[in-house]
Amino acid sequence: MVLLETINLTKYFGGISAVKKFNFKINEGEIVSIIGPNGSGKTTFFNLVSGLYKPDSGDILFEGESLVGLRPDQISNKGIARTYQTLRIFGNMTVLENVLVGMHPRLQSNFFHSLLHTLKVRREEKEAREEAIKILSYFKGRLTGPRLNHPASSLSYANRRRLEICRALANHPKLLLLDEPAAGMNPSETIEMMEQIKEIRDKGYTIILIEHDMKVVMGASDRVVAMDHGEKIAEGGALEVARNPLVIEAYLGKKGAQIA
Amino acid sequence: MGFETFVGLTLSGLTVGMIYALVALGYTMVYGVLKLINFAHGEIFTVGGYLGATFLIWIGIEDGIPLPLKILYVILAFLFSMILTATLGWSVERFAYRPLRKMTRIAPLLSAIGVSIFLQNLILLVFGVDPIIMPVAAIPEGYIPVFGANFRYLAVIIIVFSLILMGGLTLFIKKTRLGKAMRATSQDREAAEMMGINTNMTISLTFIIGSALAAIAGILVAMYYGTLKFDTGFLYGIKAFTAAVLGGIGNIPGAVIGALVLGLAENYGVGLKLGILAYFFILGLIVGLAYQFYFLPREARKKALFNLADRFSYDEGSLSKVKILNYCYYGGWISGFYFLFKERRDSLVRIHARQAIRVGFANTFLFLVTLIFFLNSNYKISSEWQNGITFLVLMLVLIFKPAGILGEHIPEKV
Amino acid sequence: MKKTFKKEKLLKWSRINRQVLIGAVLFLAFIFPLFNLLGWMGMVWVRLGVKVAVFVLLALGLNIIIGETGLLNLGYIAFFAIGAYTTAIFASPRLGFHLPFWLLFLLSGFFAVAFGFLLGLPTLRLRGDYLAIVTLAFGEIVRITLNNWESVTNGPGGIPGIYDPVIFGLRIDNNFEYYYLTLGLIILCLILIRNLKNSRFGRAWNALREDEIAAECAGIHVSMAKLLSFMVSSLFAGFAGCIFASLQKFVNPQYFVFMQSVLVVCMVVLGGMGSIPGVIAGAIALDTLPEIIRHTFAFWLPSFLGEDFLTSFPPLLQNFLFDFDRYRMLIFGLAIVLMMIFRPEGLIPSRAWQRELHEIDPRLLEETQMIRFDLEEEEKDLEV
Repeated sequence: MVLLETINLTKYFGGISAVKKFNFKINEGEIVSIIGPNGSGKTTFFNLVSGLYKPDSGDILFEGESLVGLRPDQISNKGIARTYQTLRIFGNMTVLENVLVGMHPRLQSNFFHSLLHTLKVRREEKEAREEAIKILSYFKGRLTGPRLNHPASSLSYANRRRLEICRALANHPKLLLLDEPAAGMNPSETIEMMEQIKEIRDKGYTIILIEHDMKVVMGASDRVVAMDHGEKIAEGGALEVARNPLVIEAYLGKKGAQIA
Repeated sequence: MGFETFVGLTLSGLTVGMIYALVALGYTMVYGVLKLINFAHGEIFTVGGYLGATFLIWIGIEDGIPLPLKILYVILAFLFSMILTATLGWSVERFAYRPLRKMTRIAPLLSAIGVSIFLQNLILLVFGVDPIIMPVAAIPEGYIPVFGANFRYLAVIIIVFSLILMGGLTLFIKKTRLGKAMRATSQDREAAEMMGINTNMTISLTFIIGSALAAIAGILVAMYYGTLKFDTGFLYGIKAFTAAVLGGIGNIPGAVIGALVLGLAENYGVGLKLGILAYFFILGLIVGLAYQFYFLPREARKKALFNLADRFSYDEGSLSKVKILNYCYYGGWISGFYFLFKERRDSLVRIHARQAIRVGFANTFLFLVTLIFFLNSNYKISSEWQNGITFLVLMLVLIFKPAGILGEHIPEKV
Repeated sequence: MKKTFKKEKLLKWSRINRQVLIGAVLFLAFIFPLFNLLGWMGMVWVRLGVKVAVFVLLALGLNIIIGETGLLNLGYIAFFAIGAYTTAIFASPRLGFHLPFWLLFLLSGFFAVAFGFLLGLPTLRLRGDYLAIVTLAFGEIVRITLNNWESVTNGPGGIPGIYDPVIFGLRIDNNFEYYYLTLGLIILCLILIRNLKNSRFGRAWNALREDEIAAECAGIHVSMAKLLSFMVSSLFAGFAGCIFASLQKFVNPQYFVFMQSVLVVCMVVLGGMGSIPGVIAGAIALDTLPEIIRHTFAFWLPSFLGEDFLTSFPPLLQNFLFDFDRYRMLIFGLAIVLMMIFRPEGLIPSRAWQRELHEIDPRLLEETQMIRFDLEEEEKDLEV
């Protein structure tokens, strides 16, 4: 079943098209990678899907419903969660609180109950905390234990990336958008991250991945879409796309492509 | 209530508007380069006025001395005040804002408020609670009769002088190297820095120019009203800021237009009877409706069709809905609500329905105000409310069109 | 292993110390007026204590907006004014109303919240600095309205003769009773604030303060959360206004000028944004500082050192020490600037803002973090 579909999605910045007539489909349970050189519109695509930008034309359908015009929080509530290339964790909140914020829309307690800190709220908070710890333990103790109550800004760069993924997972999304989850990680970390992404998929999430590291792309994704100048230039299996002359040209330029 | 009253109000509105414009330029320029509301700008204006007046008192300008000497004194007073005030503006930026540039937004804002309070209280302590009085000899006397109203020479000088300054500033920013650096800095500071522009110097220059203009405005106000109080600047600061926002912040011609509109609105607002004000609202309503009728729907329709061309195969029903919605702009906003609730799942329809409701709400508001004004057509708004008008304009602009008249909406970097 | 044990023990100690400290402060707050009964201090100080307590309430309310949500409200005193005027209008001979106090109290809060809602609904989608100026404008509009709406508010003359509150048959008419009433209210508010802080709403506010875009994408309805914070803080201002009007027995627009808003902002900022002990300390310090300085140099020190010890000081300093009230705002203004530059987290910082405000260039940070991360992970690998 198609989970997310974009039809002729277009976004202009000034006169330049950041994303142009982009058609994209992802089925439930898939991992699709989007690759492309810097500035090819990958992150803009994520911003369009998550509602931070409004498309100039075209449509985004999620489970058959249009997402155009919805606020980012509404889109998040529909079941799309994301991470960011430039990390956007809540640095002065603790690791646990970060995940709890991700859980915010799922918590039910209303304002007056919270104000009075009723039994119901207490129970819900306790359950939420337990679940948050469970989510954080996906990453094998890197975020749990004493780090649970450390401010998120004290985490290392890689752990921040992991925390962002946990925060995104906390909302039980149907679709997870990961923007360069392995950026800035060392090779062994990268491989670990790749395995974890697959594990997350096996838990029933659908994932769109932006990644530069071809090892991750090859290892993790079911399908690869290559973008350049906002347009789709290739699509298919990882190897197939990597050998596509258009893709090589996009990365290396015409001359580079000839040499390669 | 004769025609001459109207002309008089227009002239004084234009004069005051010009002064607002001079102050507003400082706000707009600083906002352009730093994205910071320089709360201290109003106080810099006051300091400028006080320094000019003090200089004239100190030099002993009197009725007895010949005119050329008088003019020389006044020019000297302007220069004296401009130089000192520009130094003040520069040091405020250097010591209170620059160290905070890398911090979150609230820190520089708070610092600006701190500087504002500090300067205001400093003026209060140095010069006392009593207003400073401009020497009468320094104020040009006489007036030109215009349609029965008296147009003071001073007002003519203010308008002409301000126009020259603004023209000069526009040329400076458009043509010179420094002006280009300024524009580049306001577009993207980091990129400008990488292109080899000394952004620190550019920002300092912005503060210097803005402060010098504020000093001129301060002296002109002191001349126009004869006195200046320690807290005058607070009010002028907010009014000028309103003008800047009204015209579109960061936009220099916008600031001038906004300032003139504000000056006129203030003077008409408390000078005219409600019945006459109502005609202004009707005019506004007609212009607004015409604008919506001719420009907005066509644009929206085009856009909607553009979207629909893609959507057509999925949802045929949408086309007619959006078409109807486009008529909501000039029809009623009830249909907007209707669609919002009925078709809440169709996001395209929802965007248009919301826009229709917003526009409908603004129109209704204007209509109601007009009606109320007509019903009480013989009353005037008490002049106590003059400042209230500014605040109201500020709030309405920020609520309905935060980008201002000429401004474009600048999306935040994501 | 040993190291962590030590750390935990230390943490436990600091927690206990904190509890002891809170207890001590509360105890001091409770027995403070009794010093008067013992004859150690004049009634002036009890009166000042009540005033301080009202401002503590205000500052706590404003802290919700500035400290927790990271927005700047420069018209906060307007909500205080709305609360005070509600009380004044409905419990004075002015229009002949005399509502029971509890109703007045709720009504004051309600009106403040209602205005907060009306102002917040359209303006809270604005960016932070615009919001600051809109609230400033709102504050001025409220003051101008109070000044000019003669038929209800009696204009600049103000409303005199506000009735004493009666709670459970007890007539509150002296400073001691007001003091304990306000103190009780502060404690109540502190409990409510703590509850909110630890709920999903408090976390949503903090998330907004840290990163609005990430918060929005995490499913937080930004304008709703901001509106809520705005309304809660208005509620506190309304309550404070009600107490203030009853205490003063008189309100006029002169109490509610822009400078008062700034003063409350100073309390929050100088004390420490987002830190409840900081905000309370800020409110106490800023309110009592002029009095304390004046008393120290005009009465206490002369009584030890002789009447004329001050005359040896230069005249400017003398003037400054005797008449600190005049220099108050000057000092506070300067203090805010210096504080923002050198210690933006305030005197008693909350853990959160400390890092928020000392943020350096993220790219630099990333680099250093990456180095740190490599070391850290290596260490971890070795452990395993």
